[in-house]
Amino acid sequence: MTRKIPIVPCSGIGKSLGAAAREAAYVLTEDLRPDRTKVVALALLVLGDEEAKREVAGGEAIAIDGCKLECAAKSLASCGASKVHKTAIFDVVRRHRGLKPEGVCDLNEDGLRLARATADEAAKIVDDIDAEGGHA
Amino acid sequence: MPDLPKKKVGLISCSGEELPEGTVTRRAVRKVLETLRPDDTVTLCLPLFLAGGEGERSFARYYPTIAVDGCDKRCAARATERYSAVPAASIVVTDIGREPGSADIGTARRLNKTGLRLTDTVAERIAEETDRLLKRPRRRTPGPISDAGSCSCGSGLPSGTVRILGRAMRVAGLPLIFTQFRDQGLGLDEKTGTVLLETVKIYNEVPDSQKQDWAEALVREYAQFLKEKD
Repeated sequence: MTRKIPIVPCSGIGKSLGAAAREAAYVLTEDLRPDRTKVVALALLVLGDEEAKREVAGGEAIAIDGCKLECAAKSLASCGASKVHKTAIFDVVRRHRGLKPEGVCDLNEDGLRLARATADEAAKIVDDIDAEGGHA
Repeated sequence: MPDLPKKKVGLISCSGEELPEGTVTRRAVRKVLETLRPDDTVTLCLPLFLAGGEGERSFARYYPTIAVDGCDKRCAARATERYSAVPAASIVVTDIGREPGSADIGTARRLNKTGLRLTDTVAERIAEETDRLLKRPRRRTPGPISDAGSCSCGSGLPSGTVRILGRAMRVAGLPLIFTQFRDQGLGLDEKTGTVLLETVKIYNEVPDSQKQDWAEALVREYAQFLKEKD
């Protein structure tokens, strides 16, 4: 059985882009590609949780980062993901200049639209990985 | 002396994205930061302990911290201890959630009403611990809303980078220190390095053997700061 692709979003607690990154992960894993993806908590990777590391190690994974520190991508790399696909929400927002995401606990409409746009981009990556048979 | 925060409590939530209890931790911490104790608390998102530099890792050495975890894996408490210092208090949502009356709290994406009530309970518990750590009488009335609460991606204690002994070092509080010294009219003279270093040391660990190097680097950086502002 093909294992699900780990999706690791930003854990940012201070900005709307972090919240949108997290929402994008939920849109992807619950609405767009529920059979192919699953959220892995960033905090578990930071701590080196063995179960979380097993989910990540040796396979391709997708990081959805909220800022340029790229905590999610760095954590995936340090936990042995064979390839880390970066979906940076700060790049997505540049491609959707009209969007003004606000809110942290509860995103406004633009924040939700940004999350959806980001999830769409990540879903394309999932499809590409599957097409190449890259995720063992 | 700059009017920098001398005593606050740092809040570290696990924010676990795969469990609803993780969402409870994040929302509860935000509530404390925004409405319950905005003047007494700051936060740092947990992954910055790994992805950030010494500025982030020194966080818990200068703030007593409360770790707020969603489950008994206690990622926030363990990460804080591993990368910075032992947290002064630890709260685990599932401990509170197992109390009588608890029930299904929704999903990580959307908490239901029970989950939101649990969030309020956890936030109150954090506020009580904050008061205890600051040795203040318990308060029930929420404080004013302010923008004081933010994470280090937009930090409660912003840091700056200074090149010291050939290495780029993150220095906690540097932008605030420079700004407030400039506002107070601190110019460049033989005492500038000492004055800057004494304040920087409040928020950063400076090895005794490197004090002179730090002082010289801070003066260089401060001179550049003044030049850019003028």
